[in-house]
Amino acid sequence: MFASVRSATLLGVRGSRVDVEVHAGIGLPGFTVVGQPDEVCRESRDRVRAALLSSGLPWPTRRVTVNLAPTGDRKSGACLDLAIAIGLLAAQEIVSVDVLSDFAFIAELGLDGSLRPLRGATPLILALTDRKSIVAPGNFAEARAATPSEVYCAQNLVDVVECLAGRAEWQREIVSRTSAETNVTRQNNHGYATTVSAGAMRASALDIADVQGQPVARRALEIAAAGAHHLLLVGPPGAGKTMLAERLVGLLPPLTDEEAIATTMVHSSVHLESPNAGLIRRAPYRAPHHSSSMVSMVGGGTALMRPGEISLASNGVLFLDELGEFAPSVLDALRQPLEQGTVRLARARTSVVMPAKFLLVAATNPCPCGEGSPGACTCDDTARARYLRRFSGPLLDRFDLRVAVSRPNTDELVSPQRGESTADVADRVAAARELAFFRSGCANSALSREQLDLVAPLSRSAEKRLRRELEIGHLTGRGYHRVRRVARTIADLDGAPDVVEEAHLNLALMMRVDLASGLRTRELMF
Amino acid sequence: MGIVTQNFLDVDHLVAASLTALPKIGPKRLTTLLKYHDPQTAWAVVQGRAKPHEVVAALLQESGLGAMWRANATRDLQEQILGRCKKSGIHVVLHGESNYPSCLKNDLAPPAVLFYQGDLQSLKTRRVGMIGTRSATASGRYFASHLAFELTLNGVCVVSGLARGIDGWAHRGALRAYQKSHGAEIEKLKSAFGDAAAPVGVVASGLDYVYPKEHAELWRDVAQAGVLLSESPPGAPPEAFRFPLRNRILAALSEVLVVVESRDKGGSMITVDEAQKRDVTVLAVPGSPRNIASVGTNLLVQQGCLPVVGVDDILVALGLDNRRANEKSFDPRAKLSERDAHLVAVMVGSPFSLDEFVIRTSVPLLEAAISLGRLEALGWVVNNSGWWEVIEFG
Repeated sequence: MFASVRSATLLGVRGSRVDVEVHAGIGLPGFTVVGQPDEVCRESRDRVRAALLSSGLPWPTRRVTVNLAPTGDRKSGACLDLAIAIGLLAAQEIVSVDVLSDFAFIAELGLDGSLRPLRGATPLILALTDRKSIVAPGNFAEARAATPSEVYCAQNLVDVVECLAGRAEWQREIVSRTSAETNVTRQNNHGYATTVSAGAMRASALDIADVQGQPVARRALEIAAAGAHHLLLVGPPGAGKTMLAERLVGLLPPLTDEEAIATTMVHSSVHLESPNAGLIRRAPYRAPHHSSSMVSMVGGGTALMRPGEISLASNGVLFLDELGEFAPSVLDALRQPLEQGTVRLARARTSVVMPAKFLLVAATNPCPCGEGSPGACTCDDTARARYLRRFSGPLLDRFDLRVAVSRPNTDELVSPQRGESTADVADRVAAARELAFFRSGCANSALSREQLDLVAPLSRSAEKRLRRELEIGHLTGRGYHRVRRVARTIADLDGAPDVVEEAHLNLALMMRVDLASGLRTRELMF
Repeated sequence: MGIVTQNFLDVDHLVAASLTALPKIGPKRLTTLLKYHDPQTAWAVVQGRAKPHEVVAALLQESGLGAMWRANATRDLQEQILGRCKKSGIHVVLHGESNYPSCLKNDLAPPAVLFYQGDLQSLKTRRVGMIGTRSATASGRYFASHLAFELTLNGVCVVSGLARGIDGWAHRGALRAYQKSHGAEIEKLKSAFGDAAAPVGVVASGLDYVYPKEHAELWRDVAQAGVLLSESPPGAPPEAFRFPLRNRILAALSEVLVVVESRDKGGSMITVDEAQKRDVTVLAVPGSPRNIASVGTNLLVQQGCLPVVGVDDILVALGLDNRRANEKSFDPRAKLSERDAHLVAVMVGSPFSLDEFVIRTSVPLLEAAISLGRLEALGWVVNNSGWWEVIEFG
């Protein structure tokens, strides 16, 4: 007998459909899986056999061939377990072959026949929107949030058989206690996932009102959030660079539906977000350590092409503390994603495209001794120059905002006066973002050169100032456009939606610190 | 003596120069050697071909010095030194010769052999040493260059070490003044200031070993305009022990020593000690107590050194008629509005960040951007790597 069951496997952050074809025919009893299964996938045989037997269902005593079509792609993971089990039952005529064409099955099987949740539920479900999907209870909430199509869940293999036969009803609602418990266990089984999620949650709850003093850095965060400008914080240890970066996510507006789905797909495919939350609505915050490898940052690694930190930070903030300590190759790998908003990973067998539209925030000390301030710094020029060489020019150039952060002094630290709260600043950011999208359909950082002239005309004095900067060589052609984009955002936040004034431009210039300028010999004034 | 010197260096000079290149021969041992022997005999003594004076014989017994020197005192060494001197135009003068700088002749520890590029006559005028930290603030650098500029125009020679920071900037200012007065504007300026003095540089490494590298042009310009001195043989790298020795020469050449910015420890303070040993007047430029780069100079003022707030203070210390100086120090910058003058007065003293500017002046950020932009355009503040500084002129 023959049966075909629809399921899906994960590649990168996307699901791809797989038809599990099961043939049980004459011959010596045996079981073969063909169609490029990987090791975990091949092990399905043992899991499915145990699950069937412990559920009181029969294991075929015939020659069984399981084909995973399309055969050209490599299949990975345990997500086909349920589909293979159902296919075997259909081939033995325990499940009717006719009803199967309406359904898709994505769940891992426990040896007791229970359905287990798997990572990547969102992308898998989205690959199967034309069918009714059966998922494990632990994936139910996430799957329901991801798609408008019908999703059912079942506790175990017997439930699935009963429901398919029409002898029982599918479970359509979330039984909150069970699924909550499942989530907790699931998260605890993955200690890494738990900590990162907790970190992400905490970061978004942090209030910018905690930042004492530092008016410039606070404004820089506001500008970065409003115009999606990448931000480099330069300052001595203890200046609060990390504290500032953590507070940036709170200023970003909630994700749109489209962004939420894209971000959820990424996080789901590495098992990060609690499924109870449904879609991820809050901008994610990722702060990988500077020892991170290229693969962990960009993605890839296994045959599944796991998304990297840049994809996990998509539609949110990627914070690189101690920028100079990252491997230069890792930093340079960020340049193309920064430009395109996606990362395309090609391997011999596969190539995947993953989202990578993140707001890059980086922090660095100004020099090896960390002090930076002239007079206080004990580094000689050679040491400073060597330190600055770690950041390639093209990378530094991508930071529209480069802001010097100084340590707040004692008065500011102990001052009872608190600054504006995240809620207030976020309102201004949202208004400025809305204005920018209404005006040009994109964030200010993405304005093209042609658009700039149209939407960011300069006042006469501002133009004069900019011309002077170009003439004395403080600004390159590339920097020219970047400064104008930042000035546009500053003006938007200042409630000046039309002409960019000199004050806006000046501030944009001052928030574009030239790290090497202290090393250059300047002309004498007399 | 088979070496053909081709008249570039005479034999005495060549062997004396070669002696300085022997290993472990400091100024003291060299002086001893040349005190008891003329240069050519000294070379023969070192080679073991002549009988040493008993003091020198004792010296040669010291921890195998004699053997080490004998092994190194070769014709190759002489040829090497000659080649280097010829290539870079380095001349030699010996203690006791008529053109040996008279200001060094009676010093506590005069160098027995002095290498120079340029014109030794540059030293025959009033001389002020100007020193300071290598990691100077922009304000300190400008102040140093401006003082040097004015001193040079007043006919006072600026002696400095050509190091990074204050030293280099003092020389830049001095050169600017020298070039101006010897350039197209000569008539006008001459009538105003008289003859500009040439700059003098005293360096630690060999004269053909530029350190720091980025000062190559500055070295060349100083040697062309004035004179560049070193006690180290050509090719000697800037080893740490050479700097305190250089500082002693710098102090000896100065009639007045001005410390522009210095921390409480470091090379500048060594020079100050050397100057005080020689009864050279030390003046210090006071700075803001907040400015780390001024800790040393403020300390000097506390200890009784007279403060320098303008070039007149130095001219008075030299006993020069300071009426020749301009009534008011030459400041080409535009006058400030009352508001801007207030901002400058609030921020002057130590480097500040934009944050500090906003907090100390209570000016809103956008307005601050305008003010700082204006002050920068007028030359009252400068920005280096994100740090702002108010520039004061002497």
